[in-house]
Formats: sequence, C-alpha cells, structure tokens
Amino acid sequence: MSDLIIKLDNMSKVFFADDLETHALNKISLEVAKQEYIAISGPSGSGKSTLLSVLGLLDTATDGHYHLADHLVSNINKTERARIRNREIGFIFQSFNLISDLTVEENVELPLTYRTDLNKSQRKDKVTNALKKVNMLHRVSHYPSQLSGGQQQRVAIARAIAGDPKLILADEPTGNLDSKNAHDVLQLLDELHRDGATICMVTHDPRSAQRAQRNIEVLDGRIVLDQPTTLNNAAVSA
Amino acid sequence: MHIYSDIKYTLRGLAKKPGFSALAILVMASGIGLSVYLFSFMNVMLFKPMPFEGGERFIQVFTSQNGSRIQGTLNLHDYHEIKQNLTGVSTLSAYRNQTVTVSQQDGTRRVEATDSRANIFSFTQTQPILGRTFSEAEDKVGAPRVVVIGYELWQNMFAGQATILNQSLRIDNEPHQIIGVMPKGYFFPYNANLWRPLRDNVEQVSREANAQVRGLLLRDEDTSITELDQQLKLIMQRLEARYPTANNGIGAYALTPNMISADGGMAVAYTMHIAAVLILILASVNVGNLLLSRAVERSHETAIRVALGAPKGRLISQLLWESIIICSVGGFIGLCMIGWGLEVTQVITNQFYTDRPPFWWQFGIDAYTLKLFFAFLLATILITGLLPALKSVNGDFNAVLRDGTRGALGKNAGRLNKLLVIGEIFLSITILLVAAVIIIASKKATEANYGANIDNVMVSRVQLPDNQYDTAERKVAFVNTLKASLASAPQFKQLIIASALPGMISHRPSIAVEGKEYIQQGKASYPRVNHIAVSAGSLKHLEIGLIAGRYFNHADDQPNIHTVIVTQSFVTQLMNTEQPIGKRVRVINDSTNTLQWATIVGVVEHTIQTRPNRIEASMPSIFQPYSQTPRDSMVIATRINGKITPTANTLRQAVHTIDPQLAIYHVELYNAALARHMAPLAFVSNILGLFGLASFVLAGCGIYGVMSNTIAQRLQEMGVKRALGANEHHIMREFMYSSTKQLLWGLIPGLGIGIALGFAMSTTLNVSQLELLSIAGILTVGLAGVVLIATYIPTKRALDMEPSHALHYQ
Repeated sequence: MSDLIIKLDNMSKVFFADDLETHALNKISLEVAKQEYIAISGPSGSGKSTLLSVLGLLDTATDGHYHLADHLVSNINKTERARIRNREIGFIFQSFNLISDLTVEENVELPLTYRTDLNKSQRKDKVTNALKKVNMLHRVSHYPSQLSGGQQQRVAIARAIAGDPKLILADEPTGNLDSKNAHDVLQLLDELHRDGATICMVTHDPRSAQRAQRNIEVLDGRIVLDQPTTLNNAAVSA
Repeated sequence: MHIYSDIKYTLRGLAKKPGFSALAILVMASGIGLSVYLFSFMNVMLFKPMPFEGGERFIQVFTSQNGSRIQGTLNLHDYHEIKQNLTGVSTLSAYRNQTVTVSQQDGTRRVEATDSRANIFSFTQTQPILGRTFSEAEDKVGAPRVVVIGYELWQNMFAGQATILNQSLRIDNEPHQIIGVMPKGYFFPYNANLWRPLRDNVEQVSREANAQVRGLLLRDEDTSITELDQQLKLIMQRLEARYPTANNGIGAYALTPNMISADGGMAVAYTMHIAAVLILILASVNVGNLLLSRAVERSHETAIRVALGAPKGRLISQLLWESIIICSVGGFIGLCMIGWGLEVTQVITNQFYTDRPPFWWQFGIDAYTLKLFFAFLLATILITGLLPALKSVNGDFNAVLRDGTRGALGKNAGRLNKLLVIGEIFLSITILLVAAVIIIASKKATEANYGANIDNVMVSRVQLPDNQYDTAERKVAFVNTLKASLASAPQFKQLIIASALPGMISHRPSIAVEGKEYIQQGKASYPRVNHIAVSAGSLKHLEIGLIAGRYFNHADDQPNIHTVIVTQSFVTQLMNTEQPIGKRVRVINDSTNTLQWATIVGVVEHTIQTRPNRIEASMPSIFQPYSQTPRDSMVIATRINGKITPTANTLRQAVHTIDPQLAIYHVELYNAALARHMAPLAFVSNILGLFGLASFVLAGCGIYGVMSNTIAQRLQEMGVKRALGANEHHIMREFMYSSTKQLLWGLIPGLGIGIALGFAMSTTLNVSQLELLSIAGILTVGLAGVVLIATYIPTKRALDMEPSHALHYQ
C-alpha cells in the first residue's frame, strides 16, 4: 500500500434526475502507484471526467472506498477534503480556469493563500519557482486575457504545482490548444513526471494518452482496458 | 411582422418563467403605483391650482409672529393698509370663516360660513344659480342683513325650493334675507355653505376693536409670491413701527390656498417627493436587474442569434419588448392601485375634519396623474430595458459560444451587479430614514402627554353669538346658568368649561410679568403665551397636575379679583424659575387698552395647546377664570363612564332650556378629537411607513436577486477556487467581505443624504438629532443584516453544490 497513491475499491457514482438513475461510475477498482503517469481515456459520456472529479475530491462517490496516500478519504468532511485538495492535489483544466480578475502571479499564488503554514515570502518563492518551471516568469503582472491559450495553460500548470502536490490531475489539458501549444504542455507534464510527480490525465486524444506510462480506458462507467502504453514502453525499452 | 413575432417570442418567454414574470410585474406595479400615488396625493394637497380661471394666482395673506408662520389672521386695519400699499395684485378681498347657528322651525344646525367683502365671488367668477351675490352697499355696518346660501344648504334645509329668494333665515339668532344660491360644489374660499357681507369697515370699526380677517388676493401674472412676501414684510414693519405694542412681532406672508395644510412643513413635502422618486428608481433597478439576469441567462441564445446574423437593432428590440410588456402590465396594475389608493385617501382625508375638508381635496386619477404615469412608465421602460439589452448585445459572443457563459458578460456584468447592489442600498437607506423620521414623529405626537388626562372625556363646543352675548356679563351669566343647570346631573359632576382644552389652539396674546423689561433693539418684545379661560374646577377635573399654589375656586369669580394659574413652562421660560406664587402678570390687551394685573395663585404642569409636533407645543400657558376673561367660543366637557349620547342629550337639553337658539356641536370623545387632529400626520406617516416597508422589501429582494445572480455567474470561479483548496469558510468570507464593501459604498452616501433630509424635517416634526442618529444606527444594522443574509443564503446554496458541478455549471 505504501507505494500506492490512489486505491479505489468498487467505486460507484450514480446521478439521480427525474426518477432516472445514471451510473456514471460502476464499481470501479483502480490502483495508481506513486510517481506513475496514467492516462484515462474513453469516449464522451464514458465517465472519465467523473472519475477524475472523484479522484480529485471534487465529487463524492455513491459507493465504494477511496484511499489517497494511505488515507481513507471517501467519507471525510468538506473542510478536510478542501485541505487535501489544497495540499495534496494539483488541478489542470481543459479551459485553464484562471481567475480573470487576478494577475498571473496572483493566480498562481491563489491556492497558497488558503494555507496557513506559509508566510508571504515563502509563498512568493513557491510562485517564482513554479512560474520558472513553466517559463512564465516574465509574465507575472499580466492578466489571463493578455495571454495566449498555451501561456494560460502553462500558468494553470504553475498554479497546480506551486504547492508541491503529491498528485496532479489534468482534465483534457490540451483540449483547447493548438498542436504546437498542446505539444509544449504535454512536454511540460513529461518533465514534471520526470521530476517525480504522479499524474492522472483525462484525455480522448490517443497521442496524448500514449505519453503516459499506462492507459486506462473507461466505457459506460467501467474500466474496460488497463495496460501500459506502447510509446512510453518503447521509450523505456530504448 | 418582426414586431408581431418579437412580441410572441417575448410573451412565450415570460409565460415559460411565470415566477420571474410575476415578480417583475409586481415590483414594477408597486414602484409605479407608490410613486405616482404620492405625487398625485401631494399635487392635490399642495400644488394643484384652484379649479377656477387664474386659480394658480390665488393667494392667502396670513400673519406671522416673531418670524414664525402661524397662519394668523389680520387686524382689519392692517388688511386695509396692505390693500392700500400692495402692488402687483389685481383683486384683494377680506373674509372670516366661522361656524354659525342656523335656526329653522325644526331646530338649529351648525353651518360653516364665510363673512366676506362683496368682491369675494369675483375671484372665481362664479354666478349664483338663483338670485345674486351681495353688493358693496350691503357690506357696511348697519346695512340690511343678507345671505347667499350654498347648494347643499338649499337642498338640505329648503328641499331646493325655487321660491327661496327673499325668504328669511335666522343666523345666530339674527334674521337674514336670502338673496342668492350658489351652484353645487361651490364652497369657496374653503368649506363655506353660506356667505354674508363682512359688514366691518375701517371707517366704522376702530383699530382697537381688533376685528380680525383673512386676506385673499389675486396676484398679477408677473408678480411672484416672493415679491409679495417682500412687500408684505415692509408694510408690516411700517405698521409695527407705528403701533409698537399692538403689532409687536407681527408680520405677514403670502401663501397659496392649498399650501395652508403644509405651511411650515414643505421640507417634509419635498422629502416625500424625493422618496417617491427613489422608490420608483429602486423598483426600476430591481426589474432592470431581473432582466439583466435573464439577459445573462440567455447570452448563449443571443450569441447563437448573432452567429446566425441577427442585426443588433433586432436583438435590442427583442430584449426591449420584455421590458415594455413587464412595465406596461405592471404599470396598468399600478394605475389600478393608484385609483384605489386615491379613493381610499378621499375617504380617509374626509375624516380629518368634523365637517368637510377643503373643497379642492378631490382625489382621483386626473390629467396630472395620467401624464405623470405615462412619463414614469416610459422612464422605467428605458431604465429597465435598455441597459440589459445593450449589455447583452455587446458581449463577446465568440467566447460564449466557445466556453459557455464565461467571459461574455463576466467582468462587466460583475461590475454592474456591484453598482446595482450599491444603488439599492443607497436608495433604500435614504427612503427608510425619511420614512422612519416621519413614523417616529407621528408616534411621538400620537403618544404625547398633553398635560391632562384625555381618557373618557366627552367634549363639545358652543358658540355664543356676539350680537346676543355682546357683554362680558351676559357671557358669564350663560356659563353660570349652565353650571347651575347641570349641577344636579350626575354625568356632569366633573364639568369642564374652557376656551380651549389641552391639544386645542387657544388665544395667544402678548403678556408681561411684573418687574420684567421687554425691550429688544429699541422695540417692545413681549412674549406670547396661550391665554385660556377656564371655569373653577376645570383644571382639577382635567387632572392637570398642580405643582404649587392652588386651583381656581368660586372665590376667583368674585368681582375685582384678578387671578391666574401658570404652567411650569411659564415659570421656567419667563420667570427665571423664581418663586411664582404671588407675582403678577398682565395680558397686553389691545381692545380695551387696560393695565389689568393678575396675581399668580397656582402653578400647574405644562399643557400642549396645539399639535404636539408643532414648535408652539412648548409655548407656556396661563389660565384665568372664565368670569374674568369671558369668551364667545367655549368647550364644554365632562368625564364620562358610559356612552356619550345620554350625556350629550342632557347637555343639549340644558343649553336649549337656557337659549333655544344655541347649538351644541362637535360632540365627541376628547381623545378621538385629539386623534383627529393628528390624523393627517398619522396618514402621511402610514404612507411613508408603506414606502419604508416597500423599499425594505424591494431592497431586500433586489439585493438578494443581484447577489444570487452574481453568485450564479461566479459559480465556476467558486468551483475553481474550491478545486484549488479553498474551503467553505474561505469562499463565504470572500463573498461577505465583498458584500460588506458594497454595503459601505451604498450606506455611507445614503446615510449622508438620508440624515440631511431627516435634519430638514426634524425641526418641523419635532424629532431630535439624537433620535435621528439612533434611527440611522438601527436602520444601518437592519440593512447590513439584509445584505449579509442576501449574500449568505445564495453563497451557502452554491457551496452545497459539489465543486465538480460548480466547475461545469453553465
């Protein structure tokens, strides 16, 4: 268990609407090791984003158990979930989700402001380091609307890694980008992985999925395929 | 064709959201209804010209006392001086309103009469329907007594006899020849039902006889009221210099007839107008916000329309139709509410008077109301429709189509939402402060201590005709006979006879306290006090507390005894709190010019001899035995245990036995009479209370609506922040902080203006600065509570949503 960062046992998520039950996740069991890079793929409506939401504690499962870094987190309260999201998890979204009223620096600092164990200079150091990693230090005073899509996503990645999370969850991180920017972002994720980050990336782009070590395919709320990716294995073999 | 399809589309949209539509219509109905109603009400009360040709130029002339506008009457000789010297005036007349007793074989009745100069009818250019009006020759002392009667009197007393002319009518026991009948609905100048010549002329009546009249004039079109005021001031200053004692401190001023009911209270009237405009703006802001939130909701649909090539004008027109329909339907409901409200107002205001209110108080939907209604309707359509329409069509539609609602209206709409909240707070605190000041004033006035026990007291009035009771002895004899006659009646064990009871306006002559000098800047400056005639035992029966000395007794009715009882306020204000018993005071009596000193034998609690909210409420009083200062008009009262009717009948019988021509009138309970005096203020207070309540509800709903809208627009942002680790407290604190900032932005200027308006009204309404600041404090806390609750509830609801749902919310 100590090598695992994620362990799901028979996890289900059911949505109820107008007497209609929709099984978004159906008894999913999954283990992810520390420093692993996995891709979750599947067609639209298959449940991959719901799975990511449950993994990121953005949503609660209807049934099953979820261990995150040795802690059972399926039944913890909202405040504790918020604390775990803040300290243990970094999110990267398809549509960047930067706050338009905040500058690049303030956006990256935002998750750190929810922590009480960091003073202003410590926060500043972490922000600088994160922005340096994504090569966006020269744009600290800009607002999101002044940046290109690729730049915005790099800022979002800086925000995700600024608090040194154990787990990075990326939901279609290249979905809104052109191929050049998508390539840059995926390369950045590769670098983070090489530096020791655990990454779970939802994608429906097979080429993006191939960059992970392992591809999990979801269909109708079930894992239908869980296998190492060929490209990454080839790279490892080479 | 486009218009038809746009209307159909808008109606379909409104029907799809019945709750939203009903709320918007209701808000608009209350906004337009309340504001137009108040404007219409105030117009009839204060501004609407008399319903005659040139009615807007009718002016009343009143006297002031030491600069205070007391609506006093003029000495006939002063009126004559004014008539001789005033320029810019085409007609000037004098009149006196009084209640007279009209006798017929089937009994007597009280009728409101106007004794006037012959030219009073020329103001209105109204011809009698029968006979003629009186001539200048009939307006002289000793001329034959003639009378013109009103239509109502003609119908009620004479069943509309066509042969009424030249018949005799006994008025105050004097036969009068009926020479004319005025048309239906004619009550000029106030509420008269019969008109007689004044019969007082300066050539025949001395200045010292102190005959009092009211002045009425028709100003020229190029002469303003301010110019008249300046002329009147100069004329009265000259008269004061010529008659320093009699005219001490007396000035004169011009006033339009319908301003009489608000003289001195115009600050309140203008403040109410401001409140009416503010409530309309508040309602418009609310509806505008509801429409804006709809526009935001429909931004995706609008973006699709733009993508499909819809021209901007067409989009604006579609969005404007929503506002036109909501405002029109709301306005129509509001107009019905106005009609109903004005009808109710007519009924209520009729109760302000025991007889009839001023004839121009005709409330209803008139041309002014309709004009104002349509102007307000147009303004609300523009305010509520144009802004959301322009906001909606000027968004980034590409971003909307790409990312949902994010980025389209976000930042601008957020700024607009903040402005809306700030505006609502500003408007509501201002209206609430104005309303609260009037409500407090009304409450204070209603619960005021008049200085007497006003419960279970029957009051009535009797007027002794001066032709029959022309000497002091006759007046005293009447009172003595009445007292003797009622002595055996158990209901009259606590008989009260006075020229005025507490709460009623009394004669206010100048007085002098022995040993004091009253010279200021070379002129005599005697203080004025209420001078009230009372029978022995009256003060005790009224339970006016005795502080020192004694009440009056029968010994005070002996010849050559001159005694007074003063109020504690008299001692405090005019005697430097020195020991009052045994000191002497003198009424500066111009008619007899005597120097009669009276000894103070008692000190009683202060009594209020006006409405409690008037500045004259603190004026001190002196009481003198009726036998020493007999009056024509008096109040006969007694404390009763049961119903009023048997007691009133006993009194009527006793008076009828003494003099069959005398009528007892205005029989009612004392506290009911005082409540009637306060009814206008209570009515205004109720209206303002309704305004306050409406503004509170509108502001509460509006702020809640804006906050819900703001939070709905920021749900994704909340989702992002929660994904980044913000817990519920972080988010709640952030929204509360933002709301508090908006609260302060709206509250500080709102409090500033509200307090300024409150100060403007406080003098008139007798509300202290401490009370005003306390009200401001309480309202601030209340409004802060509303704002924070309006923020807390939608934020909490949003936080109950899972972060993943918030992230994907559109």
